[in-house]
Amino acid sequence: MSDATQPEGIDRRRFLTVLGVTGAGAAAVSGCSTAKVEKLVPYLVQSDDQIPGIPTWYASTCTECGAGCGLHVKTREARAIKLEGNPAHPVNAGKLCAHGQSALQGLYNPGRVKGPMARRDGGFTAITWDEAIALLSEKLQAAGGKLGVISGAGRGTFSDLLSAWTQAQGGRVVRYQAFDFEPVRAANQQVFGTSEIPAYDFAAARYILSFGTDFLTDFVSPVEHQRGFAESHGFNNGQMAKHVMLAPRLSLTGMNADEWIMLRPGSEAAVALAMANVILTERTGNPADANGLRTALAAWTPEKAQEASGVGAEVIRRLAREFASAQPSLAVAGGIATQHRGAIQACAAVNLLNYVAGNVGRTVKFGADLDAGDGYAALESLLQAMEKGQFAVMIVHEANPAYSLPKAGGFAASFAKVPFKVSTSLYFDETSHLCDLLLPGQHALERWDDLRPRRGVTGLLQPVMEPVFPTLPTGDLLLRTAQKLGGALAALSAPSYEAHLKTQWLKTLGTDEAWRSALQHGGVYGDTPVTSVKLAATAANVAYTAPVFDGDAGIDAFFFAPVPSVMGDGRFANRPWMLELPDPVTKITWHSWVEMHPETARRIDVREGEIVQLTSPNGTLSVPVYITPAIHPEVLAVPLGMGHTAFGDFATGRGVNALDLLDGKDGQGFLPYQSARVTLTRTREFKKVAKTEGTTRQLGRGIADAMTLAQARAGMTPALARKAEGHEVEEINTDREVEAIEGFRASQLEKRNIGPYAAEGLPMWGMVIDLSRCTGCSSCVTACYAENNIPWVGEEAILKGREMTWMRIERYWEGGEDGDPLEARVVPMLCQHCDNAPCEPVCPVYAAYHTPDGLNGQVYNRCVGTRYCGNNCPYKVRYFNWSAYNKKAFPEPLNLGLNPDVTVRARGVMEKCTFCVQRIRGAQNTARLEDRALRDDDVVTACAQACPSNAITFGNMNDPASRVTQAQQSSRGYHILEDLNVRPAVTYLAKVLHRSEG
Amino acid sequence: MARTVPGVLAAFEHIDAACDAIQALRAQGRTDFTVYAAAHNHELEEAVGLPVSPVRLYTLFGGLTGVCAGVGMTYWMSLDWPLLVGGKPIATIPPYVVFMFELMVLLGSLSTVVGIVLLSLAKPTTGLAYDPRFSDDQIGIFVPCAGAEAASLERMFKDAGSVGVRHAA
Amino acid sequence: MATIVRDPSVPTQTHHEVTRDVVNTLGTAGRGYLLLLAGAVGLFLVGIGTFIMLLKDGLGLAGYNPPVFWSVFITTFVFWVGIGHAGTLISAILFLFRSPWRTAVYRATEAMTVFAVMTAGLFPIIHIGRQWFFYWLMPYPNQRWLWPNFKSPLVWDVFAISTYLTVSTTFLCVGLVPDVAAARDIMSGWRQKVYNIFSLGWKGTDNQWRHYSRAYLYLAALATPLVLSVHSVVSWDFAMSIIPGWHGTIFAPYFVAGAIYSGVGMVFTLLIPLRRVLKLEHMITDYHFDNLAKLTLFTGSILFYAYLMEYFVGWYSGNTFEQTTFWRRAFGPMWWGGWTMIICNAFVSQLLWFRKIRTNLTSLFIISIFINIGMWFERYVIITSSLGNDFLPFAWSQMNPTWADWGILAGSFGWFGMWFLLFARTFPVVAIQEIKEQIPYPRLRKGGH
Repeated sequence: MSDATQPEGIDRRRFLTVLGVTGAGAAAVSGCSTAKVEKLVPYLVQSDDQIPGIPTWYASTCTECGAGCGLHVKTREARAIKLEGNPAHPVNAGKLCAHGQSALQGLYNPGRVKGPMARRDGGFTAITWDEAIALLSEKLQAAGGKLGVISGAGRGTFSDLLSAWTQAQGGRVVRYQAFDFEPVRAANQQVFGTSEIPAYDFAAARYILSFGTDFLTDFVSPVEHQRGFAESHGFNNGQMAKHVMLAPRLSLTGMNADEWIMLRPGSEAAVALAMANVILTERTGNPADANGLRTALAAWTPEKAQEASGVGAEVIRRLAREFASAQPSLAVAGGIATQHRGAIQACAAVNLLNYVAGNVGRTVKFGADLDAGDGYAALESLLQAMEKGQFAVMIVHEANPAYSLPKAGGFAASFAKVPFKVSTSLYFDETSHLCDLLLPGQHALERWDDLRPRRGVTGLLQPVMEPVFPTLPTGDLLLRTAQKLGGALAALSAPSYEAHLKTQWLKTLGTDEAWRSALQHGGVYGDTPVTSVKLAATAANVAYTAPVFDGDAGIDAFFFAPVPSVMGDGRFANRPWMLELPDPVTKITWHSWVEMHPETARRIDVREGEIVQLTSPNGTLSVPVYITPAIHPEVLAVPLGMGHTAFGDFATGRGVNALDLLDGKDGQGFLPYQSARVTLTRTREFKKVAKTEGTTRQLGRGIADAMTLAQARAGMTPALARKAEGHEVEEINTDREVEAIEGFRASQLEKRNIGPYAAEGLPMWGMVIDLSRCTGCSSCVTACYAENNIPWVGEEAILKGREMTWMRIERYWEGGEDGDPLEARVVPMLCQHCDNAPCEPVCPVYAAYHTPDGLNGQVYNRCVGTRYCGNNCPYKVRYFNWSAYNKKAFPEPLNLGLNPDVTVRARGVMEKCTFCVQRIRGAQNTARLEDRALRDDDVVTACAQACPSNAITFGNMNDPASRVTQAQQSSRGYHILEDLNVRPAVTYLAKVLHRSEG
Repeated sequence: MARTVPGVLAAFEHIDAACDAIQALRAQGRTDFTVYAAAHNHELEEAVGLPVSPVRLYTLFGGLTGVCAGVGMTYWMSLDWPLLVGGKPIATIPPYVVFMFELMVLLGSLSTVVGIVLLSLAKPTTGLAYDPRFSDDQIGIFVPCAGAEAASLERMFKDAGSVGVRHAA
Repeated sequence: MATIVRDPSVPTQTHHEVTRDVVNTLGTAGRGYLLLLAGAVGLFLVGIGTFIMLLKDGLGLAGYNPPVFWSVFITTFVFWVGIGHAGTLISAILFLFRSPWRTAVYRATEAMTVFAVMTAGLFPIIHIGRQWFFYWLMPYPNQRWLWPNFKSPLVWDVFAISTYLTVSTTFLCVGLVPDVAAARDIMSGWRQKVYNIFSLGWKGTDNQWRHYSRAYLYLAALATPLVLSVHSVVSWDFAMSIIPGWHGTIFAPYFVAGAIYSGVGMVFTLLIPLRRVLKLEHMITDYHFDNLAKLTLFTGSILFYAYLMEYFVGWYSGNTFEQTTFWRRAFGPMWWGGWTMIICNAFVSQLLWFRKIRTNLTSLFIISIFINIGMWFERYVIITSSLGNDFLPFAWSQMNPTWADWGILAGSFGWFGMWFLLFARTFPVVAIQEIKEQIPYPRLRKGGH
């Protein structure tokens, strides 16, 4: 299928509506804070950018991770209700990940600090901002330069201001990110002499080799990576890249690999060096200076790598050849899942591999200088200084070290040594509980700011609504204290942070018009320069030594693998959307788990759900077991980001904190997440695992279908492909039966031409989902929650299978038994809007019926809740409101984020995917107002809009020119459960497997 | 209390005696007598010799009305607001047969009950002499008459084997 | 002749004894009876309490576990509808077949029918998500001219069940009239006044009997197809769907047989104690139970066959979904339910081949308990196990009932028991007039004609 990039039409129309906030505009934004929500505030003076019932779009920038994706914020009646990617933005091109979209629940989070507070006799008491600033200034005065700042803020005007502000007082700032990729930078320093993080061009790569890097979820720039990955790895006119994952555990990225090679933890470097060695010795025309490495690499034979990693020497040779022959190729290393004590050598070895294969500069592009913090080393030295009592005042901004550092590191103890501790956190997190003064900053959607995620890309943030709570942008806080303190700080004299920001920008932009246009576009985007790098002298020193793991090795010892999950480094754990979003790999929600290989489980005789104790030299965790084939038998994986002791009601006391088993101290300048061995003891207590999956195998039912590259190239249909593979194909409908069905259908069709159904020229809405592009990242799921006011139901309800996910990602395992390779299949499952919908005729009150334009309608007001439709739906995509979820799921102020265009379903009614009917009708109305026909790209469902890999195409199937009709023509197209003859409107395109033979 | 009809009331314990008496009455050309019994009895029915009850007509018409109501309701209501479900025709016979059948049974049986009531009321029993034992183990025959005729009837009943004759006035 | 073989269907009593014995059952209640009644009312109150909770907090209180959208409530609904069928079968169908042994038991079973259907009728309301809108399922003229969807089996249910309730109630009342009259003529005081009203001026004249006997025949003729249709319609709630394990053409006869089987089972459970409490041993005799047992054996065997066919068709269809469903029904997580239903229904019923067991009331009573349990489980298994593992393995799950499910189930038994007990004391539970119809009047001339 053609790679459907962000539709032009949307782009154009958005461009007109996306606004730069002018002073007047911002002032007119009213009636949207919880304080005011009780009384209705009419628009006495209608502001030109607020038309009731018409959404207003603002461009902004996402601050949920360092990638700095561009945002379009949809506001209605001056409240942000939906976050979408900015199509013009070079990083994410209109797409957004689940984390980015969940920023709304960060904005409207009930756990936010609702104003400045000071610690008085033990507890916190609310104070005024003037008091707060006075108190802070006085303490800073007294501190006399003994000031420390830990800031999680991205690189931009604010971070400049912050360091200027701190240095003017003689203090120290450390920009700290929990996931900071220090090993990557150290390795680049060693091999290329530059410590910057390069941009990885997955779109260009024809062969992708990942050494345990989960680049689709938590590595540098996930959305961008996923976009590129889909471009190259998605089947496109007979072409697709191959993706090989070398890792002890399958991450989301690993699930999308054509080949998973299970290697022993910490042995990546050995394999990479061996491959580089093979390429150098076997291939001619290597980069000239690379040949200099020959001697250095000669020692690293595949055989040597085999004993280190457990990967067969032949496999290593084959991979090396494939890697070298595919041009350009790309090898990635780094990331939390491989951050063991050998991480630097692993990354360095992979750098050599890339260099030898000639990928540096083609798929590994230096010069972008992606934003990163100061690194763990800087933080450690700050902590030592704290320990020594060198600080009188410590300010923590947008960081939560008390949680994200291992307790063994003793942060709390050293932090306690600081007499006066200030937090500007928006939430009552672990760190702010240790502080003496809380000066809650403003959420990214409430404040002015900017970000410089990489060279050539500067993103702007603008307030899209009045603050939800009476908080103060930390920028303004700095300026106001500066005015109070004067002295060296006198230079910082801007009246407000907004003014400061604007003056900074006008220095480069010059005119107000340019400023306005920058606001409209969400920033200024130029080309990212590519600088060429040469091998540094130290490159030849790259070597492999087996990394050290704490705890003694033994038969009952396992490698402990804390892995990033939906919760990231823990910052998302207070958002119900994220807690309820099933982990893409395990499909578990709301709590922690430990992943265990079936063999291991059989050996030590534990069943799923048994709570086991994992003990490392640093601590003990009690977690329920989840048995999965997607992990090395010697490894136990536990998700990061849970087990908060504070951080709001949603996060507190939920799951365990995997960091408790780690040792914080490390000499190499990064936190070695993968550095512990654990012993396991059974408790014989059980906890039902709150997962959304029933059975992990599709039992040959061809639900998530796939074919080999050769078959796809030959234009085989999925059914033929399965026959060719020797599987028996379910053929319930013989030709004669099909004939009869067709005849019956014809007679039905003319019998039902009555009323509105007789109308001519109506659209017929349909969808195509390309499984060769879909990665299972679940961004669409969160988009659906946000767009359609879907309530989260909580762990207890999930245990009863009562989740309300209109769109769910089903994950099935294939193979993995008696020798054949394990393979993951994902399939997004949503209402198929069947032509012969089984759910419709069984409804006694016509609550489920078929609209003339082919939608499977659900009339909530008419539904009495017999639930017959739910029974009769073969796809099980109808969801019932068993309890008053609508009351439970949107506590103040989360309710402010509800989409006014979509009913909030009451107790006792059935609900399901509507193909975003509100968007369809909206587009139709706009078209009518503009007196034109509906364009193909006018209607985009929330899921299709969000999908970072453009796997979803939506449109009018009656229009032969529409993208959806085109896509349906693909030979890979099939309908799930086609034999039922329900005639779904959703066509799936079979996944394509790029096997070695294929 | 309605005025009582003057006449003779005879009680029988033996079925053949009662039948004889009824035959005798009919021989006299009488049809205005009333026979009481605690249960339905074919010998008595034959003796009295009335034609088959027309109640079945009520059943028939009730049933037919039901079927028509079934057809009418389902079709009209389907077409009144045409909604497409499951790609099936808007109005279609097979599922609607159920309603035709159910309504046939419903109206059929209800009208049958109405039939009993109306037909029974057609020949009221008010004022006719009655004895509680007729609902227990005796058969009763009441003949409206007066004077000498009553005496002759009493004699006739006694001969037939009545266990007790009473004059109602 | 040397020995006169008495026809067991002809009662030994005289007309007068029949009247006396039956009317005596209407006397003042004993302690045992009152205890039973108190128990029933207690259970009913439990049900009411649970229902109030359901109204307040929603169906989430019950053990539903999607994709199992139906469970205990629908199970119990089908259970009670089924119970009803034995009554109509005995009172209507056996009446048409002129089988003499029905007369002694049919009144009680017919009452059971009416109250069972009354109970069943509550469940569609309890089970829906917005109970307060249950009437939307009926075609009533409303402001926006919205009508129900006559293609939906649930609307078929509404009509079938309400028709069934109306017709069986009518049938019961019509049959009662002459008996109430008999009671009226014996009673005195306030009771007489009450029965006087209920007897609708019945005198048993030749004219009344003439229309009455005819009409009763037609009512029976109408009730006969009805009883067969009602449970077919109920079975179509499942058969009309596309769920493997539900979508079976044998469902209608299969369910009807099951219904009568369960109904007769309940008849045993009710009559065996009742005849002792009401001292009717000489009227409801082993002879009647023997015949009822044969009926049970017959329907039980049909059920056995249906079970075999279900599994056979599941295997023979070659349809992977059907095969998986039935495999999991027998050996999956719900195996215990699957085997309970097979043992209690298919196997236990086969014990009735033995005359000793058929005529031993204790064994019959025990068997009847098994039948009740087995038939409840049959519906529970068919519903939940089929829903629990249909087309998409990712969505599979099993459900576990909660206190709310059990509370409503208990309440339904209380509600049914309450009505039945009240009826048994207020109206003749044995049809006086039909028994008398079987007792020949004495004759003056021997030998008759």
